[in-house]
Amino acid sequence: MSAIATPATPAAALPARRANPLLIAWFALLAAGMAIGLGAWFYQQSQGLAATNMRNTVMWGQYITFFMYFVGLSAGGLIVASAGRLFGAARFKPIVRLAVLEAGVAVMLAALFLLPDIGRPERIWHLFRYPNLTSPMIWDIAIVSVYFLISAVYVWLYTRADLARAGSPLALGTGTTEAWHRRDERLKTALAWIGLPAAILLHSITAWIFGLQIARGFWYSAIMAPLFVSSALVSGTGLMILLALVVRRAGKLSFRNELVSYMGGMLGVFIAVEAFLVLSEMLTAAYPGAGFEADPIARLVVGPYSPFFWFEVIVGLAIPFVLLAVRRFRMDVRLVGLASVLAVVGIFVHRLNIILNGLSYVTVPYPPGVSIGTPQPPGTDSFSLSLFYVPSVVEWLVTIGVLSFGALVFTMAVLVLPLREKANGEAAEAVR
Amino acid sequence: MADKVSPIEALPPASREYGEIGPVSDKPRWGMVVDQERCIGCWSCAVICKSENDVPLGMWWNRINTVGEAVDTPFLEQGNLEMHWMPLACQHCENPPCTKVCPVAATYKRDDGIVMMDNERCIGCRYCMVACPYGVRVFNWGAPERPTEFDTGMVAARPVGTMEKCTFCVHRITDGQVPSCVWSCPAQARIFGDLNDPDSRTSHLIRDREGYQLLAERGTDPKVYYLPPRRRRGL
Repeated sequence: MSAIATPATPAAALPARRANPLLIAWFALLAAGMAIGLGAWFYQQSQGLAATNMRNTVMWGQYITFFMYFVGLSAGGLIVASAGRLFGAARFKPIVRLAVLEAGVAVMLAALFLLPDIGRPERIWHLFRYPNLTSPMIWDIAIVSVYFLISAVYVWLYTRADLARAGSPLALGTGTTEAWHRRDERLKTALAWIGLPAAILLHSITAWIFGLQIARGFWYSAIMAPLFVSSALVSGTGLMILLALVVRRAGKLSFRNELVSYMGGMLGVFIAVEAFLVLSEMLTAAYPGAGFEADPIARLVVGPYSPFFWFEVIVGLAIPFVLLAVRRFRMDVRLVGLASVLAVVGIFVHRLNIILNGLSYVTVPYPPGVSIGTPQPPGTDSFSLSLFYVPSVVEWLVTIGVLSFGALVFTMAVLVLPLREKANGEAAEAVR
Repeated sequence: MADKVSPIEALPPASREYGEIGPVSDKPRWGMVVDQERCIGCWSCAVICKSENDVPLGMWWNRINTVGEAVDTPFLEQGNLEMHWMPLACQHCENPPCTKVCPVAATYKRDDGIVMMDNERCIGCRYCMVACPYGVRVFNWGAPERPTEFDTGMVAARPVGTMEKCTFCVHRITDGQVPSCVWSCPAQARIFGDLNDPDSRTSHLIRDREGYQLLAERGTDPKVYYLPPRRRRGL
């Protein structure tokens, strides 16, 4: 985020009465980030994907990593909105609106990250014109769309009554009478019944993009779908805690610290499940000692990317688990926040490991390996057996652009939508 | 691809015959045999493939792997030094993982078993490349660079941002000719033919020399068979 100094004036997007200088600076930063990202994407289009550091050995890189990461981050909405409703967890009520908003933005960003990854984005309509139903990718795009729609409807349903009361056009002409309210409740429950399986499917199908590939011993495993669900729960809950704390600090939300500790406890359980699944997967694959499933595990533990793996284990799993498992730590909001940061970063590194360790070695491991795919300078090899992938500057800038867009949408939504549940009055939902 | 015309018609009959496909059944299923005993690792097939199919710099549809640890280097087998090669191009699987995962069916298997690409439909997601157990697909990462200022070969160049790979020289098969890598091999280590015809040279060789498929345990059922070397060729 160093090169963002371009002066931009998106202040017009803000209501004049709220001329908070910090907010204006934030919007300027995001606008600059978006401009840089868009410029970088246009540059990438003019050069082809050669502008990235992806090549024939690591053919998927940063974009796909962020795609699966954001799919996972959207899980917060599932837990809090759908599961909370179906299993009657009324304590989530103060943050339900934030949760569904976060889910919608996250899944939208996931879809956006696919765009710079494909070589010919102008042919994206081929996905709808010539869909191949045996491809997990088609199903994933379908479920991402469905999940985005569900989240959008959720956000609207939860804020609708308050919007109508404020006379906002966003209420789409709906009213605030008791009949409307009862209809809301029925719809929310119905949506929770769709939303929960849709969320499980979202993470599972994303996992099956990878887990069904017999070419990749590191991926070809029945545990991929459960593992993706569990890492989604970890990163989704972690982000949920962080966002809730940030939005509360900004004065847009109020809830008590017990909720943070409660969610921290949930996060601890999710981390334990995640660690258990990772261990179970790795032991099964590694035990034979050699072969197309064991070799990638050996590379993961001692290979060129092993620092990432040990970071995932220690910083992403062990430390946050301790912070969340010990009751005294869990009661401290700052420590829960720290554990959430570690968990969210840890799952990102976990996703990175899946991509890099899955792709960075050649499947037929005889020299000289796979042709790199772009002309190499004279005297250097145009083949490689294992490419050490580090994202290019262009990939970073595009990533910054997409993230800025997501932050912009989220900030605007926080500003425009009533996120705070009314403590009393007819807006307060009947406690189930 | 339509504007390119094969010069095979113009060849003298003897030259034509050398490159012609042998016995063919009513419903051919094209396959190739690579004789690892004959292969001398000279890369002729890889180079002519680039020329025949207009493959830009940095990309190879066909490459020659050395069995063992290092290129053109022997390895120890039961105390003996051995050296042989494994030429690798698209295996034209009967059960191809790449066609299954393509979201837009831009890669597909023809009735004669050839796995083909539709470069006008490909969106460039590279999922097929992820799915291929053989690492034989190559992506057009950037604007093509060529050693010559003009295009070479008998097929049109593929657009940037799309996937490409070996086609068994499908344009030559249409003319009744074997793929370029086959006729160009100085050691005659490659044999092309109809796997459905029991009398084709490929069928005979696979039977007699116990031809094996690469990574057969993955169930992809490749139509490229390798003939294992029978005698030690070492120091």
